[in-house]
Amino acid sequence: MTSAEIFDRGYRRFEGTRGGRGSAMRSVVWYTTKSILGLGRKARHKVFPVIVAVIAFLPAIIFLGMAILIGDLLEGELRPEYWELFGFSFMAFLVFTTMVAPEAIVRDRRDGMLPLYLSTPLTKVTYLISKGTAVIATMMIIVLGPSLLALVGFTVQGMGPDGFGTWIETLAKLVLAAFTIVVVLGAVALGAASLTDRRAFASVAVVMVLLGLSFFVEVMVNGVDAPETLRLIDPLNLPFEVAPRLFDAKSEPFVEVSTSLVLLGNLGWVVAGVGTLAASYRRLGAV
Amino acid sequence: MSASVSPLRAIGLVHGLLIRQLLTRGRILALLALSVLLGVVSLSVRLSDTLENPLRSSVEIFDVVGFTLVVPIVALVFAGAALGDSREDGTLVYLWLRPMDRWPVVVGAWLAAVSVSLPLTVVPLGISAMIAGVGEGLLMATVLAALVGVLVYSAVFVLLGLLLKNSIIWGIGYILIWEGLIAQFGSALGKAALRGYTRSILANRMDIDLDGFSEVSTASAVAIPIVVTIVALFLAAARLRTMEID
Amino acid sequence: MTDVSSPPPPPTGAPVDLGHLTQAYSASGPPMVEAFGVTKAFGDVIAVSDVSFRIGSGITAILGPNGAGKSTLFRILCGLTPPSKGRVEVLGRDARRDRDVRGRIGLAPQQDAMFDRLSAFEFVEYAALTNGVDSAETRARAALDYVEISADDPKRVGAFSKGMRQRVKLAAALVHDPEILVLDEPLTGLDPVQRSRMIELFNDLAGQDKCLLVSSHVLDEVARLGSNVLVIAQGRLAAAGDYHALRDMMDDRPHRIRIETDQPRRLAAAIIERDLAKGVSVENEEITLDTTDVDRFGRAIAPLAVELTAHLGSVAPLDDDLESVFRYLVEGR
Repeated sequence: MTSAEIFDRGYRRFEGTRGGRGSAMRSVVWYTTKSILGLGRKARHKVFPVIVAVIAFLPAIIFLGMAILIGDLLEGELRPEYWELFGFSFMAFLVFTTMVAPEAIVRDRRDGMLPLYLSTPLTKVTYLISKGTAVIATMMIIVLGPSLLALVGFTVQGMGPDGFGTWIETLAKLVLAAFTIVVVLGAVALGAASLTDRRAFASVAVVMVLLGLSFFVEVMVNGVDAPETLRLIDPLNLPFEVAPRLFDAKSEPFVEVSTSLVLLGNLGWVVAGVGTLAASYRRLGAV
Repeated sequence: MSASVSPLRAIGLVHGLLIRQLLTRGRILALLALSVLLGVVSLSVRLSDTLENPLRSSVEIFDVVGFTLVVPIVALVFAGAALGDSREDGTLVYLWLRPMDRWPVVVGAWLAAVSVSLPLTVVPLGISAMIAGVGEGLLMATVLAALVGVLVYSAVFVLLGLLLKNSIIWGIGYILIWEGLIAQFGSALGKAALRGYTRSILANRMDIDLDGFSEVSTASAVAIPIVVTIVALFLAAARLRTMEID
Repeated sequence: MTDVSSPPPPPTGAPVDLGHLTQAYSASGPPMVEAFGVTKAFGDVIAVSDVSFRIGSGITAILGPNGAGKSTLFRILCGLTPPSKGRVEVLGRDARRDRDVRGRIGLAPQQDAMFDRLSAFEFVEYAALTNGVDSAETRARAALDYVEISADDPKRVGAFSKGMRQRVKLAAALVHDPEILVLDEPLTGLDPVQRSRMIELFNDLAGQDKCLLVSSHVLDEVARLGSNVLVIAQGRLAAAGDYHALRDMMDDRPHRIRIETDQPRRLAAAIIERDLAKGVSVENEEITLDTTDVDRFGRAIAPLAVELTAHLGSVAPLDDDLESVFRYLVEGR
């Protein structure tokens, strides 16, 4: 005879259909995106994204305003190429990058959320893919937004690219250029941020890698006349060079660097960033 | 039975504790890596034989790498964390509920940040200046500017750490957006950026014009940051007195 | 609206005087901790509402569920946060403004955070030094001895178990021999043996004429801590006094219950007949009644309604707040 019994106290079990891996990944992407942009959070979490968005969109808005006010006079020298807009908002992208990657991955480690995520259908790989997707999605808003606004705005003013085919081609090039910038900066930032479990220091790490190497290359090439190919180790400026190459141009600092080297360099940085990220999370062990 | 703690003693106690809390191997290695880059540049200056004006190139290099990046970031990491970390993780109560005045706690925290930041900035910058081999002038100018920079940035970031959560992220925002972007637009704005003073010291001592930024005399470039330091520490003490402790 | 910066308003309610309940507290001696109409609001949330009391030496247990406002009250007492209304006095002073009185309080806060890079000895010695103790090393060793932790253990407190950290926190709180000890949930994370040992320590300290404020959300702990209890529920002082007397009072207290039904008269008659309640009154389709045994009444009412084929609209206690405190005290949940 048994002397023990477990009573059914009537706790309700979840009887709906379970979403599985795809649904879990979608949730992570969505909630990470919300947390980065400060949606559904207190006002102070929105301050930073708003400041960055203002700085990012300001150049495009100024040029559009000028186009509306003085119209055709803007044609010629004064009128920037679409791809040049990426460079004008460069500082906003940098600041946003230093915030996004740490917010996306570091907080989960600090708060002990990572093991909870991994107890769902998510694995480390699918978790990181979801986080990466959220980083890319939010950064695309800030990076592609301004040039897209300019393209649409100039078109409405009758100053856009001639013909539908050219218009679509311009759009495609802008999207591709923005995507390159976002993927390279995002990968490097995620890699740097994965080195620590404190958000503040993760941001410092991102700044140090991006800005430190960029300054280093800048003074080596300009100050000490190092060869221009050294710019391939500048993860901050290198992805921006893809935009002019798509539009059959070269920007000043990269004149001597061939397009294939530029592409190869960017690929290298993506591999380095993702590799560091993967290595860091592999080391985290059985969390 | 306890008695109150004298201000000097309190400064010493807070200073000693926070140095231990701040000095982690990861932080030191990461920040030294930053300085190594500077050393490589300086070495290249020395080895290069194609430079028209090595002195000018060196000054520009130290301005860009040293005083836009190394000094503010190092100061930010340690000063922002000095009381900011304690506040966020809830250990500030162990410094707060004590028979000590508020200002010695703030001064002790500032000194701890300075004690850690100075060797990590002045020494690498000084070594780099010597490596560059363009004369003793650069060494003196760099050391003076780094000293002033570390003192004033640390005070401001100690205050920031008490005012804001995520103070380091806001500090990065200040360094990149305010000093790096907005302050470039006008001389009035430039005077509101600490970087203007460190680079003024560098430019004046070396007698070289640097682009942008309105320059001020060396005396002002030292005096104004000292005033800013005192005001920031005063405000931090006032903040510590009135804030709510977890 | 009261201007917070102006002199504190007169206390709204008379402070609950707990002094006479504590053996060690002489009625003629001054109270050690006093609260006058203390209210603390965080935005729209009232964490502590109009709490007044007066405490002498000995152990006073602050009992309340998680989130009842115990920690907030402790933070106010120690001056860590100012009250929105009212005032507190510790040894006649305000710890937020008065530097020296801070050295006469020992606080073991609820949060787990410590200076993780120090050893237990360094942590406790640091507490002694920052409290201006002369022979800090000796005292730190004594305090660690007291909580049975080795002063020579070189391990950092960051690597300690929860129970050890709790004891190190206690050692740091009492190393400077303060008159007031404020201990926020000091027994959580301890195993039963450590718990008993800690309670012994508290009684020992209370015997030294110190004032101990110990918070807990576990009834059983409070029963062992001593007879003096303040019950806090939803930010309010719900009960105060001797633990056993409180418990007796609560056991005997009748509970008022309102029932909605389509057959009030028949149901009321049956309730009286079976002696389920007293003071039964009927109005329209509602019965109001008092019962001293809520559990028995709860079990009986539904079968009774079925038996009479009466439809029950609702059965609701009228004094919900006190009810929950009562249940809490008696059942420890």
